[in-house]
Amino acid sequence: MGDFASFIAALQEQLPQTAVLLDSATLQRYAVDEMQPRAVIVPSSTDETAQVVALAHQYQVSLLPRGGGTHLGLGGVPKSLDAVIELTRLSRLLEHEAADLTCQAEAGITLAALQRQLATRGQRLALDPPHAEQATIGGILATNASGPRRLRYGTARDLVIGLRTIQADGEIARSGGRVVKNVAGYDLNKLYIGSLGTLAIIVEANFKLHPLPAAERTLLLTFPAVTDAMRLVSAVLGSVLTPTAIELLDGSAARAIATRTGLSLPANGYTLAFDFEGSLSAIHRQMDETRLLARQHGALMGEDLQGAEQEAFWEAVRAQTSGELTCKATMLITSIAAYLQFAEQLCRRLNLEMAAVAHAGSGIVYLELHPAEVSSELLEALRLLRQQAQEGKGSLVIERAPTALKRQIDVWGPVGSDFPLMQRIKQRFDPGGIFVKGRFVGGL
Amino acid sequence: MSITELPATTARGSVAPPFERLSEERKASVVRELSALLGERYVLHDPYDLMLYEYDASIDRSRPDIVVLPSSTEEVAGIVKIAARHRVPVVPRGAGTGLSGGAIPLYGGIVIAFARMNRILEVDYENMRAVVQPGLVNLHLSNALNPRGFYYVPDPSSQRSCTIGGNVGENAGGPHTLLYGVTTNHVLGLEIVTSNGEVVEVGGWTPDRPGYDLTGLITGSEGTLCVVTKIVTRIVHLPEEVKTMLAVFNSMDDASNTVSEIIASGMIPAAIEMMDQMILQAVEADMHAGYPLDAAAVLLLEAEGLREEVKDQTERIVAICQHNHARSVRIAANETERQLLWAGRKNAFGAVGRISPEFYVQDGVVPRTKLPYVLRRVSEICARYGLRVGNVFHAGDGNLHPLILFDSQVPGEVERVRQAGHEILAVCAEVGGSITGEHGVGVEKQEEMALIFSPVDLRVMQQVREAWNPEQLFNPGKLFPRPGRCAEVKQL
Repeated sequence: MGDFASFIAALQEQLPQTAVLLDSATLQRYAVDEMQPRAVIVPSSTDETAQVVALAHQYQVSLLPRGGGTHLGLGGVPKSLDAVIELTRLSRLLEHEAADLTCQAEAGITLAALQRQLATRGQRLALDPPHAEQATIGGILATNASGPRRLRYGTARDLVIGLRTIQADGEIARSGGRVVKNVAGYDLNKLYIGSLGTLAIIVEANFKLHPLPAAERTLLLTFPAVTDAMRLVSAVLGSVLTPTAIELLDGSAARAIATRTGLSLPANGYTLAFDFEGSLSAIHRQMDETRLLARQHGALMGEDLQGAEQEAFWEAVRAQTSGELTCKATMLITSIAAYLQFAEQLCRRLNLEMAAVAHAGSGIVYLELHPAEVSSELLEALRLLRQQAQEGKGSLVIERAPTALKRQIDVWGPVGSDFPLMQRIKQRFDPGGIFVKGRFVGGL
Repeated sequence: MSITELPATTARGSVAPPFERLSEERKASVVRELSALLGERYVLHDPYDLMLYEYDASIDRSRPDIVVLPSSTEEVAGIVKIAARHRVPVVPRGAGTGLSGGAIPLYGGIVIAFARMNRILEVDYENMRAVVQPGLVNLHLSNALNPRGFYYVPDPSSQRSCTIGGNVGENAGGPHTLLYGVTTNHVLGLEIVTSNGEVVEVGGWTPDRPGYDLTGLITGSEGTLCVVTKIVTRIVHLPEEVKTMLAVFNSMDDASNTVSEIIASGMIPAAIEMMDQMILQAVEADMHAGYPLDAAAVLLLEAEGLREEVKDQTERIVAICQHNHARSVRIAANETERQLLWAGRKNAFGAVGRISPEFYVQDGVVPRTKLPYVLRRVSEICARYGLRVGNVFHAGDGNLHPLILFDSQVPGEVERVRQAGHEILAVCAEVGGSITGEHGVGVEKQEEMALIFSPVDLRVMQQVREAWNPEQLFNPGKLFPRPGRCAEVKQL
């Protein structure tokens, strides 16, 4: 690779205000998949970030952008790692145009800090990935992180209206803009979201916002059979009801969430949680109609949640998607029940433990598997779970795993016929390979 | 797999491709090959047949050399391969309702018309997906879904004729995108033909596919990256209740302040459309939608969802209208009345055709709070150029559609219209807006791209085209600023 010593010397000389951490304790703490960086760089402004990248470009040093580090487990083992560039000091909400329902924030602000500021004007960003206190906007966008509320509000691609990025040569570029509707030029926002820092570093984002709902309630239901639970999900999705989230928990996940929150959740069977937002009259009617449908599908009534209990419950549900070994399988909604039955039988046969949480209305199943150490059983299970998801027109990504396991199996799965198109984009955007390679799909 | 070898980056600023018009001899041999592939019937090449394909709904025109009507993805791939071998540009075309010249073949070449690829291939109600061919008319999809209680959301005003393929190309919007988003928010997967004639699937039926979001990148790329041959869309359940309101105002300011106040109050109605006096008069003369003739502006507002929410929202909207001095607020009593109110809005462009030989539509977007200021500036600009202007637009999104009336028979008028249009977009850019909200850049707003994007921003975008369409085989000469204009201005 490049001339690392000269890079650090140039950095210290030209950007004396930029923090450059070189001590071994720090480097150890910032290791990615057991690979320690040789430096951690913490710029305090967009311009500084751009200058760091320009120097990295000049000295051919590889960079890995980092936010709060909550989703750093996503991706394959990096090919090499010279420096981590951490954006947590870019933490300002630059503008909140409340009357326009838009805002502009720096990438290093945590989601929780952003939400607190937006809430003072009765608004929020309708994204609810796990670990809001640590996760930064930039990290959330780079990993395309989402949560249960995506059923109603969509994901980052539906809420981002503009981005400011540092390109691989250190130039600052904008895409999109500040207005909610915009088709001028290519929609590069889509390209950067979920690109895991392989094309550019996101330094600022403009969002479309939503008003905070007048009220929120959660309805909990229990089912002996997963097929009945999913039949109810289909019935609700095919009705006029508009839940904000529909989450399906298996017994193990329900036990874990009960332990974490102190709520009493059934340890056997499947729990369905419906989140409703809006006016109280509309919420009550939706809950009544959901209960009515639920009875027809063999549900046992659980309790309703609101206030602090409700918040704790959803917080725990989100956290349940980030275990030691967590897979995210996407599939058709109608494939979920059979998929979970398949996974249970498989885990039983291979002596693995499993906990499952599904965004049931969006076709996304998170599976946590134990033990996470490499074994032929685990590799077999992952292979078959992936194959099964693909048969449901979906895919399986191993979002979190021990490094040893990542060396045995591709966390992203096989590439598709569109991979050469992705390669050509990476080649154009980052011909020198400044942004760490090896972590994204197909080794990009 | 190795990274493909790519030609060197084009120098900044020089984006005009080196296409020359086909000689008769070359054209004949391309026609021969295409006829062998598609059958002679589906290869048009004499000037009389081609005339229909030289324009869209914008004011530019340019004649193709050949028009082909394929019936399958394989045929499209074959056409692209022939074109690539002969270095003849390819421009995909839906119904030709575009407003920015996206389907105009600037350098001639081959236009692929999708009229024969117009089928709904699959509908899965339980998983809420439909798979369609690009030539399917937008409204035909919702019409097919309605009996089962579902619909396809994006509803451009031209939805009776425009195609879903064209909608994907332009990332089309419509009145109901305020709450539910535009085309890109409803497209999950595509089948495309690349510039070397390969058929590739991007995205799919399920969300969050590993890898770059190429579906999102291609949607709105105006046919400059690939040719779309199949589309996987989201479909949604029809709302339980819809209430449509017509609020009448004596001043434009009151109407625009109402829009700002509704959004600021934390409400996102399904639609907020504004029409000014000139539009109201044109529509009434055309079709009697029941609009008041003496009002300065009306707002067409729609609340939809659960009946409790609709009731609540309707009450709040009416209160805000009254607070902003609405002369009256009429609520459509039934579906017939509702359809009539909308018919007036959706046919507004056509109605204006009755009072002016030609008109030029702009598509700027501004932050919603800037509407009153920008509308005043639009009037000033048009007055200064001695041009009449009407406004009919998606006020809730801040997406303006000033219609500038003109007559190209009047010497110099076309240039004045272009100048006024440019100034209007400059105002939109100045207040932090965009030069296009749903019509696309095409040929019409290439220069204006520089109003909102820096040379670096534009260079980064061009990297995508260089990566996928390096020879500019697809829709050359569009989207980015270029030195000179090639298309002739439409002469009536």
